[in-house]
Amino acid sequence: MMKSPWSLRDYVFAAFMTIGMVASIFVIGPLVPVPFLQLVAWAPFGGIFLTLGMARLQRRGSVALMIIPLALLLAPLSPAITLYLVLTVFVTEAVVYLRGNYRPKANRLLGNVVFFASAIAIGLPSAALMVGGVFAELLTKPWLIVGLAIAAAVTGAIGWWLGEKIVSQLRRAGKLDADS
Amino acid sequence: MPIAKLSRTSLSGLAPINPVLKIGLSVGLMVVALCLQKLPAMAVLVGGLLLLTAQLRIRLVGLLYGVLTLTIFALSSAWLSGDWPKAVFSTLRLLAIVLPAPVLALTTPPSALIRALQALRLPSFLTLSLMIIWRFFPLIQQELQRIWEANQLRGIDLSRQPRQWFSGLMVPLVFQMVTYADEVTVGLQTRGYDPEAPRSCSQPLRWQHIDTLFCGVVALWLGVVGYLEWVR
Repeated sequence: MMKSPWSLRDYVFAAFMTIGMVASIFVIGPLVPVPFLQLVAWAPFGGIFLTLGMARLQRRGSVALMIIPLALLLAPLSPAITLYLVLTVFVTEAVVYLRGNYRPKANRLLGNVVFFASAIAIGLPSAALMVGGVFAELLTKPWLIVGLAIAAAVTGAIGWWLGEKIVSQLRRAGKLDADS
Repeated sequence: MPIAKLSRTSLSGLAPINPVLKIGLSVGLMVVALCLQKLPAMAVLVGGLLLLTAQLRIRLVGLLYGVLTLTIFALSSAWLSGDWPKAVFSTLRLLAIVLPAPVLALTTPPSALIRALQALRLPSFLTLSLMIIWRFFPLIQQELQRIWEANQLRGIDLSRQPRQWFSGLMVPLVFQMVTYADEVTVGLQTRGYDPEAPRSCSQPLRWQHIDTLFCGVVALWLGVVGYLEWVR
């Protein structure tokens, strides 16, 4: 059997970053009751944990290690969200795969931007196909989807910037062995 | 803001139902919701889900938040499409996709969910990640609550000062979480936990009479939905 490149420490760290992302949804969610605007508003906070996870795990597949358990956990709640999360992770990992891994800061920024922008680009059409209603109407206004995706990319980049600030604080405190 | 309270609920009479059956039902209900095209059938489907939801003790804040979100969705759908029945149908479909979540997940004890995921023969690292998320999520929520209250004691109301969220909320939370992650890793390592090793289960899942009864009631309910959609 092939040995996993991840250690127990990696699995636990990734799980805690996932918890951080979910916990921050509970803070932001009630403040923004519009589904895809919620994602834009949550990206700076979710991006912090995503960046931390990338900085600590560094290898390809780091985003998958954080998001796939979440997608699986949500499977009994909503298979649609699971599918959308898996597709988003797939796009992010595929883009970063071409650039190497999550060791350089630039790749972590790229990972964040692609993750949140693709969440809109994949999530909105999926919701339109499955639920219809306002989501289907939004499909007739592609500029709105592009606008939301750009907004999510920008707030995701803010999340990366905040995440890197915490990474440097954690490194100074000797709590994170990430490369600069 | 009472963050931890927003998601706090209690288990109901649905708790003893086999969690694998609940997962299957959740997927099945979503597929049915996506297939339905007639308003009465969708209304019966959502009606049944609302009856099941009534078993949960959901806090008023959560309920009001849900109603507000649905109202915004319905009004914006109607405004954009100019078709009220279509907007109502879409809102009901959204409910039918979203409602199995509180009903089926919040009535499942964490240990039963983990046993169900083990029964599905997932890779062991995924089970470990899910166990940690399920076990430590409430603890991190409490931690978040404590940090929020500590800020209030220092005269900082974070709900009115979003600029303080990074330094006052996120930084202490992340430091606390990294400490927890290190402690949990050490705890697992000292107990000789190996994510690659096969796991045993002291209480394996079994099919019970209540599961058969539950299946019967669900079949009846979905039968009525099918009759309204395809026969009538």
